[in-house]
Amino acid sequence: MAVPVSQMYQVVKYVLTQKVKGVKRYPLVLMIEPLFRCNLACAGCGKIQYPEHVLDKRLTPEQCWAAAEECGAPIVSIPGGEPLIHPEMPEIVRGLVERKKYVYLCTNAILLERKLDEYRPSRYLTFSIHMDGLREEHDMAVCRDGVYDAAVKAIRAALKRGFRVTTNTTLFDDAHPERVRAFFDEMMALGVEGMMISPGYSYQKAPDQKNFLKRNRTRELFARVLSDRKRGWRFNQSPLFLEFLMGKRDYECTPWGNPTYNVFGWQKPCYLLQEGYAKTFQELMADTEWNRYGTGRNEKCADCMVHCGYEASAVEDTFGSWSGFGRTVKATLLPNA
Amino acid sequence: MTDSKNHSPEAGSLEGRVFRPRNPKELAEAVEQAFDYRGDVTLKLRTGETIEGYIFNRTPTGSRPCLQLFPRGELGERIIAYEDVVSIAFTGKDTASGKSWEAWVAKKESQRRAESAQAAAEAKSRGHL
Repeated sequence: MAVPVSQMYQVVKYVLTQKVKGVKRYPLVLMIEPLFRCNLACAGCGKIQYPEHVLDKRLTPEQCWAAAEECGAPIVSIPGGEPLIHPEMPEIVRGLVERKKYVYLCTNAILLERKLDEYRPSRYLTFSIHMDGLREEHDMAVCRDGVYDAAVKAIRAALKRGFRVTTNTTLFDDAHPERVRAFFDEMMALGVEGMMISPGYSYQKAPDQKNFLKRNRTRELFARVLSDRKRGWRFNQSPLFLEFLMGKRDYECTPWGNPTYNVFGWQKPCYLLQEGYAKTFQELMADTEWNRYGTGRNEKCADCMVHCGYEASAVEDTFGSWSGFGRTVKATLLPNA
Repeated sequence: MTDSKNHSPEAGSLEGRVFRPRNPKELAEAVEQAFDYRGDVTLKLRTGETIEGYIFNRTPTGSRPCLQLFPRGELGERIIAYEDVVSIAFTGKDTASGKSWEAWVAKKESQRRAESAQAAAEAKSRGHL
């Protein structure tokens, strides 16, 4: 079991509470992007291309805490940019932990070892390390030699000090399944708590047929990566989401499941598309035309199978019915069935 | 998982272009282009004022459509009504141009290394490495 029982309990309690209250759309993971500046310039990353004066802007701790309180999601993920660049990040994390939010601090780990003293191990804090494969693939993906080795060193140091550590991996069409499986072996051998995987998001104005094939290719890739799964592999995410990636089940996107807050405000409609910003979370939920988004409804969503849209769909499936719960139990206990 | 490979077209950057809309429809289209642009723009207003900054949001509907901009060199944001805009010039560098995955792969190894080294040097100079 990759996710601790206490965290699972809080998430289950939260989801069931929303159901009892009759809330149709509820957030599961709040994504806070406290800054866009990064110390890497990964090829094709669409998150950090802004003028210098925008890259210099940062959310304050108070803004981050207020967003977490207003949103109410039990889990807060902090991507970026590189969050460890933010001088007030330890304070931001402390405040979120005090609010009993399960924080996933996403980092490329270049600065992690140097900054570890500024954080305290907690069941509420997880360092989620960006690792896109073995050394060759990862250093190619981040466009800099030596980053894989630095990240592995930092992971070891964080684990030694008692921090929760997971990895997050984005796979694209060019991934080699056998190399990815070898990468899983490596990460588990390091001793990480669990791994998170997702396909990348690629926006291309292409004919529908091409998009359809692309989605199929994603399913084929993940089926090859995740079939005949080794017992030692632990994934820090919904087992039904993994089955979705493998093409074993289909979901509609749940863009409100992972709302995004950054220096521009609350991003409409999701972490990946930038169609505008709301001043408050309430405004985001009330004013976004959610029916305009998702595969089959919007060309920008045609290829998307990304975790920020579909992991919440999988969780909703789990708690939406007894059969969904049964599917989850089966997928957890018998991943290769 | 912060990665997203942006496959937007490399050609057709608006950098250097100037829009002088002749009617509200053209103005709304120009603001949309400016909102999508990953660089600063310079707005000329009816008052004669010019403002350079990054347009991060807009509200094209309602009784008084407006845009939100982070002015370069200032801390806060400015809210400007569409009707006050005379022209929009794409004066800042298009920071997304040439940054797609396809462009990266198409570059020669030597170019890729030089670009990577430059990014590393910049990060180091800020104390981020």
